[in-house]
Amino acid sequence: MTSLAAYILRRLILLIFVILGVTVLVFAITMLFSPDVRAIMYVRNADQLKPEAIPLIIQKYGLNDPFYVQYGRWLTQVLQGNLGWSVSAPGPVLSVIASRWPYTFEIVLFAAPLIVFIGIYLGVQSAIHRNGLIDHTCRVLSIVGWSLPSFWLGLLLLAVFAGELKWFSPGALSQNWINFMHAGVLTGTYHRYTGIDIFDGLLNGQAGLSVDALSHVVLPVIVIVTIDIALLIRVMRSSMLETLTKPYITTAKAKGLSKSVVIYKHARRNALIPVATLSGLMVAGLLGGLVITETVFAFGGLGNWAAQAALQTDIPGVLGYTILSAFLFVIANLIVDVLYAYIDPRIRLE
Amino acid sequence: MSERSRFDEFKAGMRPRLKEWRFMLKRMRESRLALAGIIIVLIFVGIAVFAPLLAPPHGDPFSVPQDMEILVIQTSPTPPSTRHIFGTTDQQYDLYYACIWGSITAFRTGLTVVAFSLIVGLTIGTLAAMYGGLLDEALMRFTDIIIAFPGLILAMALVIALPGIFAINLSLVFLLVLVVASFLLLIFHFDKKILLIVQLLLLLSLLSILFFPVQMNLSLTRLDKVLLSIALVGWPGYTRVIRGEVMRVKNEDFVEAARASGSSDFRIIVKHIWPNTIYPILIVATLDIGSIVLTAAAMSFIGLGADPNFADWGQIIQRARNWISNVDLIVANLHAFLIPGIFITFFVMGWNLLGDALRDVLDPMLRRR
Amino acid sequence: MAQESILEIKDLEVKFYTYAGVVEALDGVNLSIRRGEILGLVGETGSGKSVTSLSVMMLVPPPGKIENGGIYFRSKGKTQNIMSLNDASLRDIRGKDISMIFQEPRAYLNPVYSVKDQISEVMLVHRKQEFLQKAIEALQKKGRGKSFEASVYRRVLKTENSVATGSASRFSRNRLLAWMTRIGQRIGTNFMSKFTRKKTLKSEITKEVVRVLKDVEISDPDRVAIMYPHELSGGMAQRVIIAMALACNPTMLIADEPTTNLDVTVQAQILNLIKLLKKDYNSSILYITHDLGVVAQTCDRVAVMYAGNVVETAEVVETYKSPLHPYTRALLESIPSPGKEFKSIPGIVPGLINPPTGCRFHERCNYAKEICLTSKPVFREVKKDHFVACYLYGGSN
Repeated sequence: MTSLAAYILRRLILLIFVILGVTVLVFAITMLFSPDVRAIMYVRNADQLKPEAIPLIIQKYGLNDPFYVQYGRWLTQVLQGNLGWSVSAPGPVLSVIASRWPYTFEIVLFAAPLIVFIGIYLGVQSAIHRNGLIDHTCRVLSIVGWSLPSFWLGLLLLAVFAGELKWFSPGALSQNWINFMHAGVLTGTYHRYTGIDIFDGLLNGQAGLSVDALSHVVLPVIVIVTIDIALLIRVMRSSMLETLTKPYITTAKAKGLSKSVVIYKHARRNALIPVATLSGLMVAGLLGGLVITETVFAFGGLGNWAAQAALQTDIPGVLGYTILSAFLFVIANLIVDVLYAYIDPRIRLE
Repeated sequence: MSERSRFDEFKAGMRPRLKEWRFMLKRMRESRLALAGIIIVLIFVGIAVFAPLLAPPHGDPFSVPQDMEILVIQTSPTPPSTRHIFGTTDQQYDLYYACIWGSITAFRTGLTVVAFSLIVGLTIGTLAAMYGGLLDEALMRFTDIIIAFPGLILAMALVIALPGIFAINLSLVFLLVLVVASFLLLIFHFDKKILLIVQLLLLLSLLSILFFPVQMNLSLTRLDKVLLSIALVGWPGYTRVIRGEVMRVKNEDFVEAARASGSSDFRIIVKHIWPNTIYPILIVATLDIGSIVLTAAAMSFIGLGADPNFADWGQIIQRARNWISNVDLIVANLHAFLIPGIFITFFVMGWNLLGDALRDVLDPMLRRR
Repeated sequence: MAQESILEIKDLEVKFYTYAGVVEALDGVNLSIRRGEILGLVGETGSGKSVTSLSVMMLVPPPGKIENGGIYFRSKGKTQNIMSLNDASLRDIRGKDISMIFQEPRAYLNPVYSVKDQISEVMLVHRKQEFLQKAIEALQKKGRGKSFEASVYRRVLKTENSVATGSASRFSRNRLLAWMTRIGQRIGTNFMSKFTRKKTLKSEITKEVVRVLKDVEISDPDRVAIMYPHELSGGMAQRVIIAMALACNPTMLIADEPTTNLDVTVQAQILNLIKLLKKDYNSSILYITHDLGVVAQTCDRVAVMYAGNVVETAEVVETYKSPLHPYTRALLESIPSPGKEFKSIPGIVPGLINPPTGCRFHERCNYAKEICLTSKPVFREVKKDHFVACYLYGGSN
């Protein structure tokens, strides 16, 4: 087994433990609520609940049993796909996730690569033209960008581009296209192959729908990219500056390699190493930031749902999103670690 | 030039700590961005300190006043006027007042959470790094799990889960404190007699829990819950950073030397290890203040934050959610969120500039070492 | 320029403009290296040995600047002043005509690329045509020399070459290949290799890499070639660096304290290796060290440096038998030997921000005269093939 494969295996095993721990923590948070409050979760329509019914529910679902018993019960349910009923959606948590993830995905699809590639590029440029115009501009923009509250930036962009200029509008899709899509699904002329509007539009031959979906993604992506890119640029810059002082760069120059080869082949790859560890943090920032951004733009994705759930004290909803985010985060970290091990062969021995 | 005088000269030029501080301050004064950061933070300190003068309170200072006269006519925001310098937002809350007193809330938010995280992080992180073993392993797994959650989301979950009223079992708290204390005493090799007394008290409190528990009710405001959630989510990060730094330093030669000369663990930690690890942590803390304020504002915006009439920047922007779906209203009521947002941005920016400048100044210093 | 010299440094001045002041690192250095010789450059730490060697390659890092002087390099019948060359010409010389090896081998190898990658890189940059030719010949042997397929393969080979050296990342006409380059150099070449399924540039180069590794006495070159720097021992890594430096048959090799960080036994092996290679590759070597024993063992001539000046140059035996400069004398006397009283040179090396006036050694010199305080002695031939910069041997007019 190559050293890379062995490393991946080790990380996978660790991942299982962490996910288990995550489930324990999430469940522990559930248990912070008293049995009475938790009993309400088992009822679809909370208004129709009579107070006398509560002890019966507690009895029926064993809400006073010891922690580990309830945890075991809960875990088996989760593994079977039953994450509870979200009153804010409303609907079973799993199907809410299934129906809402495409919208979140649309944003992430564009935001993530933009952040990574633009961030790395600007970071490298800042380093090689140290104290030049690009460096100072990036530095100022980074600091401002990171200080902006995401919801404020979103509101501002909405005010300018949607309010004044009327180029964009909030939401994931314009009303007329939404109507079109619903009518099409009902009559069977429109098929939601992937669930992602941008792709479905093209697959159904409705380019207009795709373009409209795309235009709605622009502003949220701008908000997310502006705020998350700052840290990446700073770290890339300092890492690059440090790498350029390393001895092996002198060797590369002494071999007669051109400047661009020295910078982009030798320096940058080494400089990316600390940046890779940062990406894990960035994914966290992305998942958290989505909650706010989707709320501001009324986007109808997972983040929006989480905010609503939190407001309505919809416990299964909030915890469903929490578990999902933790899960995604852990997997994203695994991918980052593997990439890291690919870039830097020394890591594979750990 | 004799050997002796050269050494005296050398020693006279030493005074390392003072020289380092002077050098650091000089570098900071030279950087324009650092100066900007310091000025911004000082401006906010000024606003916070002089809040009672700038916006005289009536009754509870943190309750934003509503203009009752206009309220009977309309609830929607009014633009800036002579009556209200920054205008009013939904339900006629005065923006100017909210922004001024919001500064105090912002400082309170940032500083308390950072202080909590620092204290917990320093204690647990140092202990774990110094004494390793099972405690360290368990701690690392535990922090791994907490860090596996994106911060905002876990904080949200905690905010709704934490009860507003805590029934605290005082005896239990006392017990916990004593357990920790005896643990610390064992480590720091203090007097055996003191240890005995502590263990006796431990036994007493154990008995009291079983037979005479003492309860107390502690109530948390909504803002407190937010702060507590953010703190609970944040401390593992600090713990890991501090643990990493302490582990790096504890293997250095000078620690070995201090141990060989008979210093107690406590002395080594306080006099040798902490001064050498404190700088990166300081940078993280400074930058984190901004981040914490942003997170708290975000939570307020969602609606999980302070009470509706509380003087908090995020809270006052939250009012904007009432007409957010109508783009034209957003333009018309621009002032209602623009101005508080500017306050937040500058506050966070000030701390970011400061932290950034600190990092620039301290980094080459660290490397010079 | 003397007939047998391949490198002549005349009155080289290098200054470093730092926050603390202007460091006058090199104050008129005079050095010459002859064809086929090993010239030792000795001096204490801070005497300017490394700066001199970096200057030859024009690799002095900022805030350093070459202020004055000339560096004349003779190769293939042509003599050029290195200081007047443009970037492209300099890069042509580096790695091909003049190579350099350094002190801490593992630090000077890029940790994320394998040995093979790094050695083949220097070969590809300087011996491109040669390998292309070899690969084309290999193709022509298959009888498809002038056909359309051969020209396709030639084009593929050219692109593969630019992928391997990384120049494809910005200028390649093949956009897809350029994109693959950004993901990983090796993915790109691997993909292309599989794509063509033929003997490619890559295998030709690998053969050459293995050959060079064998030359530096690495016993298992195939295995070592795919290793990463952190998997190599110090001695092994230094051999790899030497291999990399000799890969393109340089006229001159600069070795900056290559054995200082190695075990003594390994040091002996490397020294012998260097002497052997000098013969096989017919290179001249500038060997920088602070170890007089190594100089005695390995070098033909020796140049002694002090505080930014070369103070004495002569054949090794001549220098050790009759050292002329007071510093050289003091140095040789300070070599400890059993039974002898331990002698050191009084005083310390002067700081170079405000260097002493006149001869920089005058403060520690037992023979200092009045003129030594005020003016610097000229470096000139005082005995046959024995150069010194000292007023003890005249020249005060």
